[in-house]
Amino acid sequence: MAERQAKILPSAHQAPLPLEQLILTEPPDAEAVPMDVLFVGGGPAGLAGAIALARMVKADNEAGGDLGDVQIGVLEKAGALGEHSLSGAVVNPVALRALFPELKDKEFPFRAAVQQERVYFLTGSRALRIPTPPTMQNHGYQIASICEIVRWLGEKAEGLGVNIFTGFPAASLFTEGKRVIGVRTTPSGLARSGDPGSGYAPPTDITSQITVLAEGTRGTLTQAYLEWQKVASQNPQIFALGVKEIWETIKPLDAVVHTLGWPLPRDCFGGSFMYPLSRNLIALGLVVGLDYKRTSDDVHEMLQRMKLHPLFKELLESGEMLEWGAKTIPEGGYYAIPQRRHGDGLMIVGDSAGFVEVASLKGIHYAMQSGMFAARAAFDALKRKDTSSTSLKAYDQMVDGSFIAKDLHRRRNMRLAFQGSNFYVAGFKAGLMTVTGGALPGERIHSHDDAEVPREVKPSEPFVPDGKLTFSKLDAVFKSGNATRDDIPSHLILGSDITPDVAEMYTHMCPAGVYERDGERLVVSPANCIDCKATDVLGPRWTPREGGSGPKYRQM
Amino acid sequence: MANVFAFVETRGTDVRKVGLEAVTAARMLADKSGGGEVHALVLGPPGIAAKASQIGQYGADSVIVVEHAGLANYNPEVATATAADRIKSGGYRAAIFSTSAQGRDLAPRVAARLGVSVITDVLSFEIEGDSIVVRHPMNIGKVIATVAIAAKPAVIAMRPNVIDPAQNAKAGKVENTQPAIDPASARVKVIETRVGGGGKLDLAEAPVVIAGGRGLKAAENFKLVEDLAAAFGNAAVGATRAVTDDGWRPHSDQIGQTGRLVSPELYIAVGISGAVQHLAGMRTSKTIVAVNRDKDAPIVKVADYGIVGDVFEVIPALTEAVREAKKHH
Amino acid sequence: MKIAVCVKRVPDMDVRFRIGADNVSVDEGGLKFDINDFDAWAVEAALQLKDKNSGSEVTVISLGPDVVQETIRKALSMGADRGIQLKADKVPFDGLVIAKALAAELKTGGYDLILFGKMAPDSSNGVVGPMSAELLGLPCVTAISSLEIANGKGTAKRELEGAQEIVEFPLPAVLTVDEGLNAARLPSLKGIMAAKKKPLEVKPAQLSEAQLSIRKLELPPERKAGRVVGEGAAAVPELVRLLQTEAKVL
Repeated sequence: MAERQAKILPSAHQAPLPLEQLILTEPPDAEAVPMDVLFVGGGPAGLAGAIALARMVKADNEAGGDLGDVQIGVLEKAGALGEHSLSGAVVNPVALRALFPELKDKEFPFRAAVQQERVYFLTGSRALRIPTPPTMQNHGYQIASICEIVRWLGEKAEGLGVNIFTGFPAASLFTEGKRVIGVRTTPSGLARSGDPGSGYAPPTDITSQITVLAEGTRGTLTQAYLEWQKVASQNPQIFALGVKEIWETIKPLDAVVHTLGWPLPRDCFGGSFMYPLSRNLIALGLVVGLDYKRTSDDVHEMLQRMKLHPLFKELLESGEMLEWGAKTIPEGGYYAIPQRRHGDGLMIVGDSAGFVEVASLKGIHYAMQSGMFAARAAFDALKRKDTSSTSLKAYDQMVDGSFIAKDLHRRRNMRLAFQGSNFYVAGFKAGLMTVTGGALPGERIHSHDDAEVPREVKPSEPFVPDGKLTFSKLDAVFKSGNATRDDIPSHLILGSDITPDVAEMYTHMCPAGVYERDGERLVVSPANCIDCKATDVLGPRWTPREGGSGPKYRQM
Repeated sequence: MANVFAFVETRGTDVRKVGLEAVTAARMLADKSGGGEVHALVLGPPGIAAKASQIGQYGADSVIVVEHAGLANYNPEVATATAADRIKSGGYRAAIFSTSAQGRDLAPRVAARLGVSVITDVLSFEIEGDSIVVRHPMNIGKVIATVAIAAKPAVIAMRPNVIDPAQNAKAGKVENTQPAIDPASARVKVIETRVGGGGKLDLAEAPVVIAGGRGLKAAENFKLVEDLAAAFGNAAVGATRAVTDDGWRPHSDQIGQTGRLVSPELYIAVGISGAVQHLAGMRTSKTIVAVNRDKDAPIVKVADYGIVGDVFEVIPALTEAVREAKKHH
Repeated sequence: MKIAVCVKRVPDMDVRFRIGADNVSVDEGGLKFDINDFDAWAVEAALQLKDKNSGSEVTVISLGPDVVQETIRKALSMGADRGIQLKADKVPFDGLVIAKALAAELKTGGYDLILFGKMAPDSSNGVVGPMSAELLGLPCVTAISSLEIANGKGTAKRELEGAQEIVEFPLPAVLTVDEGLNAARLPSLKGIMAAKKKPLEVKPAQLSEAQLSIRKLELPPERKAGRVVGEGAAAVPELVRLLQTEAKVL
């Protein structure tokens, strides 16, 4: 029996990124499908980029330009657009307006404008209203479902002739020297052993002049590229895990609500959100930093307990949970952005580049805008017939000169203030940053990789879900629409020395019940995985698997 | 006053229970429309005529018997032509079939030949003025449609097991007649009807699913479940994840977890506690039966009918009882 | 071989449905649509025959509004050669109306084989295939779970309750496909791109008057609480009685 540890350091049990699998030096096969610009990821960043590029090419051709037929492709691992997209969300419409200047706001796929907003500090039994911090003010923004936005963008993209390939996850980058020249997709139909089973379809090789990595949070190929090309950032990227549910309720919700405090332990960063999607539909969730301090910290469980608080219970009682899901959010902000987000034949956009502003919980408009900048850089590069790093550097310059960099710079230390301090000290520091527009405290706060934060080994308090308001992970996964075949081979790479305590920690880390501790051993159910990427941050490494696997979000 | 036609399904020289259901349904419909005659058509090989009187017992005023050596197996073209001819010449208000595998093949063809619509999987029917109005499940049973049939005759295929064959002795006057076309001339030939074995009913399609869990204690005890499934005749065998993970059953038998959804008419959980991953996969089954030694097991709460007891005693008893019940089909 | 496959666009069934305000249709808000699984197996069967018989051509036909073109394109991306949309504002509920419209189109095609899925899960009727066959005067075998074609003839298996039928038939013929016949191939990336260039003809559907009409749609009643019937083997007779009389599943 392994000796009981007092603390666990997640990184000590993690496998390294399998670079030799992710970065290929062999050439693509002779039958490779040729694309001109390939967006890896069909989320807001990838789709906005594809749309912007298609429009620019069309306008240029109509004006007598010589680009001709430019093949634009979007690779999406989910079986259909939107199925792996999850967010709160309250959206700043600026990027959509810029992408579709001809459309009016009411034509965009929003649910409702933000009317009222309330922020509460929760204790176990009470909800204390506090003034809305300036960073969280959402007046003028729109409540939306990112799934609906993505599907809407997808229709626009298809109408413009963009090739959208759903069910095709990108598994590896093809390279020639330092240049990225294409992508290989995952195979499908592998048996549990990893050998081809019935219905086997081999990987597809695609060549592209420019590859835009728009993989979302904790992108695998993005990490591989940065590690391969030794592109650093001033701080490591850090993450929070958000677990979200959609409820149909009888009582309506009349405001955008955020809460701080309970049920998060005082040394955890995060809070909850609750947004009215329509009169009888509520989106609610809990976001918790992955630098939490105990092995027993379990975000899904915290959310379940949270729903029993009167503030939520009153609303949800006699309602029904329609959907459940989870996703990580990159929270490192300004200092965690890679020093360059371009290379020979490559650009990195959206969450993969870390363009998320955590104090205001915004990322969708940054994602879209960055996609649009990448499209501009790609268009110019194609015109110049120069897709080298020097040519694509224009992308970084556009981002650096835009509201993306400005916003992220202003709030650069907010989240980081919470990493070392307790909630109240950090709150004070954050307040100071707000008031001084980021000037104080100004120096970069150093942060640690989440996996380098040790966690105290603690047994968890048993939690018995009631099946009406609160649900077990397995019941929840069912509501994510996950129908991944049970005999799929595992896509998760375990590290070493997985002691029972480590197994226990994984059990709590994963919101979808992929990991279970059975006595002394770790039991892995890879089919449960909903691609939130928490495992990649703290536990077994996530790798791309068969297309169409994972959740099937509808209105998340 | 309207006469109603009923097609009585047979297999070899046996009249199938669904055939008697069709006769009973026709009787009910005739009675609802002010009384009228029920004429039942039955086709089969030599020996089928002897079953004709039985059909009269269930409400048929006349039984049209087509007994022919070439009808040892179902002959779709003969059945279609014969039924359509009789219905056309008989001026019936409605023609009742069953939504069995054979009925799904036959009823639409007969209707098309008559130039009228057909509605299958009917749960119930009413007369409303000039129309016959039926209830029909849509969207895998998640929506129930009330459908008005303007056509005459109204061709209706009943869902099996919703009408109980009811004894209602009528004249049952037998008319022996020839098939409308020579069976040998049919282009489609059923060359064999293979009973039992072979056809493995997929979990997703089977009307009855019997699933076993850890409560069976060992892989070889799955024989209890298999025997019960065999007694039903139309049942598929499933298992919980715990049991497939341990290698007692193949993964393709696994119900529940993240995706494998079954929605049979009858789901029997044997020695299954009802851990949520399993419940999620079978919750929409029409009728759920749980057999478990623990009265507080979650599955017993979800089940429509529960038996608390030792599966090794209850299941063999149930198997025997089901065998008995099926004998009367 | 010239093969035709009739396909239907159906909503994903893994949702809770809502009845529309008109009470006779399902609210399509938020529903995701795709090719009917049974029809996908029919397309697969056609493609497997095409793979074995060089020079074969597979035509995919769907009746409905312009959105059905997506469904036809899906079949084209699997490998079908051309598509035909029989344009209609709505897909009628009455299977005879659909069968008549399809038969009018199929009659002119000179097809050796016409395939349908056994049933569509939304209308849940399963009649269009055999009705079309009857209107075309062609031999028909429904719900096949295995298929072999050679020398202008075919052999198929059909699943019955507790039995199987082995059936022989000549070509040309109409077949409807059941689960278990095959597993539909996933479109390859190349297939998706090629599909955009394959011909898709749009023609008006010839719709006759419907004889079936939906008066109303309702959601089934909520599941009632269950009960423990008894203890041990002694409870079996009562259970069987309830299954027969109350639940009507035995």
